[in-house]
Amino acid sequence: MIRTFDVCKEYRSEGRAHRVLSNISFTVERGEKIAVLGRNGAGKSTLMRLLGGVELPTSGSIERTMSLSWPLGLQGGFQGSLTGNDNLRFIARIYNKPFDYIRAYVEDFAELGKYLSEPVKTYSMGMRARFAFALSLAIDFDCYLIDEIIAAGDQRFQRRSHEELFEKRADRAMILASHIGEIVKAYCSRALVLHRGRGKVFEDLSLALDIYNDL
Amino acid sequence: MQRRVIGALTIREIYTRFGRESLGFAWIVAEPLVFAVPVLFMWKAIRGSHEHGLSVMPFLWSGYIPLLLFRHLGGRILMFIRVNAGLLYHRRVTILDIFVARALLEIGGNLTALIASFALFYALGAVDVPQDLPMFYLGYFFMVWWGVAAALIIGGLSERSDWVAQVWMPYSYMYMVFSGFFFLADWLPPTLRNIALYQPYTQAYEMIRAGVFGGAIRTYGDPFYTAFILAVLTLVGLWLMREGRKFVVLE
Repeated sequence: MIRTFDVCKEYRSEGRAHRVLSNISFTVERGEKIAVLGRNGAGKSTLMRLLGGVELPTSGSIERTMSLSWPLGLQGGFQGSLTGNDNLRFIARIYNKPFDYIRAYVEDFAELGKYLSEPVKTYSMGMRARFAFALSLAIDFDCYLIDEIIAAGDQRFQRRSHEELFEKRADRAMILASHIGEIVKAYCSRALVLHRGRGKVFEDLSLALDIYNDL
Repeated sequence: MQRRVIGALTIREIYTRFGRESLGFAWIVAEPLVFAVPVLFMWKAIRGSHEHGLSVMPFLWSGYIPLLLFRHLGGRILMFIRVNAGLLYHRRVTILDIFVARALLEIGGNLTALIASFALFYALGAVDVPQDLPMFYLGYFFMVWWGVAAALIIGGLSERSDWVAQVWMPYSYMYMVFSGFFFLADWLPPTLRNIALYQPYTQAYEMIRAGVFGGAIRTYGDPFYTAFILAVLTLVGLWLMREGRKFVVLE
């Protein structure tokens, strides 16, 4: 279970505190898929980073009793100056997985071929997205944090990531930030709508999407 | 588990800093020597071989290598959380792990450089085995501890405000003057000496020098005071580091 309780996040700029999220409370049970809806700047990515533990909330608490991925997106989780292989080695070491297994998985999924021995910063946007996504799927988590990744990459990659996430990992929990109504409707059972830093959970997805579309 | 994380971070640090093909770890050892050897020989040429009746080479050698340790530990730790924020995507990696990996690498490199430079200068007949080895080790231990405590404080503070990085540069140069690299407390007038001995690094230098020269000089090192003040600084540093984590913002 993942439970957030009264989570607030403020950033300081020009000497003033600027509140991005206020009093966000919700729970995600094992195997449950919840959508996070909100316009650009509503705080979706901030919430993802807080859930993933990358940044810490200004106040409130986040409880995690299942393993939770880092926020899967176009960046994060790897280091640009290292080669693809060195990044994989690092991940393999800290998550205690055999390097050969991780390498084989990423090679197959991201289809990067010889680019794995090049520094990640030389990759194109599409290659980077494939690499980042493959990396996080290579480690097994109970709950995945997904920040818009589905929209990245070419058609073949989109189809494959779909398969990997929603078919092979149908039993996992997911917190999915997305703009795409069909994906939300097809896979999620509830939605958290974020607006101006406040959040409300809706059990009725159509209602949530209607509200989101009217924002 | 944290040991595995720290191990992975250390290897990663070596890769990012030295590349995979270059000299790698050997450079960590060579780096201090490349700076130390010319400085030490130049000094000897300019100032002659004795200072206050002491051999200059052992005096400078026992001053310069600890100086490098302090400057490397401090310099590498500036804004290290910000620079490494990407690593925090992995919840298993804590800032303390990143800190420990960096510090271990610097300390390991410095100790290796200490031994390598000793071997080199010993072979050249420029330095001798320290008279009082346990005292030398104790002094060096305090020096390492001081470097770690200072790095914790600098690392924690530099996340809050950028002026810490601005102050660091002049401070690390001034440090050469007031740390004890160039002097023994015994050479100072009593009032100045009392002030200087409040500084934990001056204390550590006193013990290192007592180790190198034995009974030939008068030193003022106080292990109990030094341990106490360093413990306080370490706690302050750990607290600052933990607070610094809250200021981390990713792009």
